[in-house]
Amino acid sequence: MERRKILLSEDEIPRQWYNVLADIKMNPPLGPDGQPISPDMLAPVFPMNIIEQEVSQQRWIDIPEEVLNIYAIWRPTPLIRATGLEKALGTPARIYYKYEGTSPPGSHKPNTAVPQAYYNKVFGIKRLTTETGAGQWGSALAFACSQFGLECKVYMVRISFDQKPYRKTMMQTWGASCIPSPSTETQAGRDILAKFPDTPGSLGIAISEAVEAAVSDTSGNTRYALGSVLNHVMLHQTIIGLEARKQLEKIGEYPDAIIGCAGGGSNFAGLAFPFVLDKFNGKKVDIHPVEPAACPSLTQGPFAYDHGDTAGYTPLMAMHSLGHTFVPPPMHAGGLRYHGMAPTVSQLVVEGLLDPKAYGQMATFEAGLLAARTEGIIPAPETNHALAAVVDLARQAREEGKAKVILFNWSGHGLIDLGSYEKYLSGQIKDFDFPAQDIEDAKKILAEYPKPQIIRSR
Amino acid sequence: MTHDHNPLSRRCPRLGGPVGFKYCMSGEGEHPCAKVVDCWWETFDIVQYLRDNLSADQFDRVLNARPRPKVASLVELIAQARKRQDV
Repeated sequence: MERRKILLSEDEIPRQWYNVLADIKMNPPLGPDGQPISPDMLAPVFPMNIIEQEVSQQRWIDIPEEVLNIYAIWRPTPLIRATGLEKALGTPARIYYKYEGTSPPGSHKPNTAVPQAYYNKVFGIKRLTTETGAGQWGSALAFACSQFGLECKVYMVRISFDQKPYRKTMMQTWGASCIPSPSTETQAGRDILAKFPDTPGSLGIAISEAVEAAVSDTSGNTRYALGSVLNHVMLHQTIIGLEARKQLEKIGEYPDAIIGCAGGGSNFAGLAFPFVLDKFNGKKVDIHPVEPAACPSLTQGPFAYDHGDTAGYTPLMAMHSLGHTFVPPPMHAGGLRYHGMAPTVSQLVVEGLLDPKAYGQMATFEAGLLAARTEGIIPAPETNHALAAVVDLARQAREEGKAKVILFNWSGHGLIDLGSYEKYLSGQIKDFDFPAQDIEDAKKILAEYPKPQIIRSR
Repeated sequence: MTHDHNPLSRRCPRLGGPVGFKYCMSGEGEHPCAKVVDCWWETFDIVQYLRDNLSADQFDRVLNARPRPKVASLVELIAQARKRQDV
């Protein structure tokens, strides 16, 4: 029998997260007055121990024993040699994936939900609120809160609440209160319902409700939790890459290429940041965040301070973007499309430490189906973007006759998102290439806006 | 506003589940979703549809909309929530 899985024992789980902020210099987020947003401005929604992590420059941060105890339910996750995929591609490359679909909710999200619940608990918080769309993040937080005896209230967008009974049931099974948003429990919800009684809700409304529920609890017992983009979320996710590095060491391998899908950045960062540290220390490794080809915010967009809204009155933040007056041409994009990438990922792209890649929807679903039929696991749709890059590099290795080592993050399973597979299989998904001229036009528009100083960390 | 596209549906990349076109046009209450163009261009001429059915201000708002940076957005939501409590 050929060996497919490289496992760590529970004793071998990393005891510290890696904080990339110790090794890069960042432009701070700015307020409308041009001044940096101070950490204490977030105190109404986050406990101070999480805010401290959000701004910490400490390279290694201890993972509390209580968090490790919960991680041990599904961690360390397996590192798996994709021998079936290798054979199907006829590549000399050795392909490994870190499978995060083994967590109770089926994705990487609990890697941060668990510590967030823990830090709130030790800060004395009794209740967490959050918003969720179809329920991936909400179910992760519900699971985490159940482990620490915290109340959890999830504002689930009404349309998803009605359409996705399984995620809602998962949350309720873990003891969370999952209510449709807008609700009558917050003023934000009541205001919307007064104007639009039959509204199906939106993420924007759900976030407003979750934040209001935290802010308006005068007892101080409620806070809010967020599952993407922020620095402390990236920090917690580094457990993925730290485990993977240990697992590869066990078999005497080191990756030539590391790949992760880059939505808000957390599952990419989770795998990649520990290897970015190696790169800082002289290791040669190519690191590829992957996004849809039709969404050039990371792969082709300029790096600038971009106003967050059309009026230009909201705070500014250094981000990859196309600029707020940019009128996009019609384009199709899949589940990874976020305008804002995590600032830390953006910074690493600017510094040339990451080499972003982009693939069209057809390539991603072709890769996803190939992986499902060779490795057996149906990938989450966002994982398919990473898989498209894996297939590309593996074929390149075949053409070059190089036995490269490729590592990627299989961020979750797709068993609760089969609708997108159905659309692909029925021929309803098409590719679109973003016109180069439009990128040039966007750059011209952004030329009017204040530019951040391009900081080099090395 | 014409409604001939309302029966169409697709996966919403923000929510992660299926939505009808009608949702994309009204999910935010007063405004269409900022991603409505991204999501529907393959199916029909969504830009022309918006030109035909929205005011000039609404059209500009949709076509130029950009999500706020998360930290800044949170600070703003905190301020809004406090303001609602004071009213």
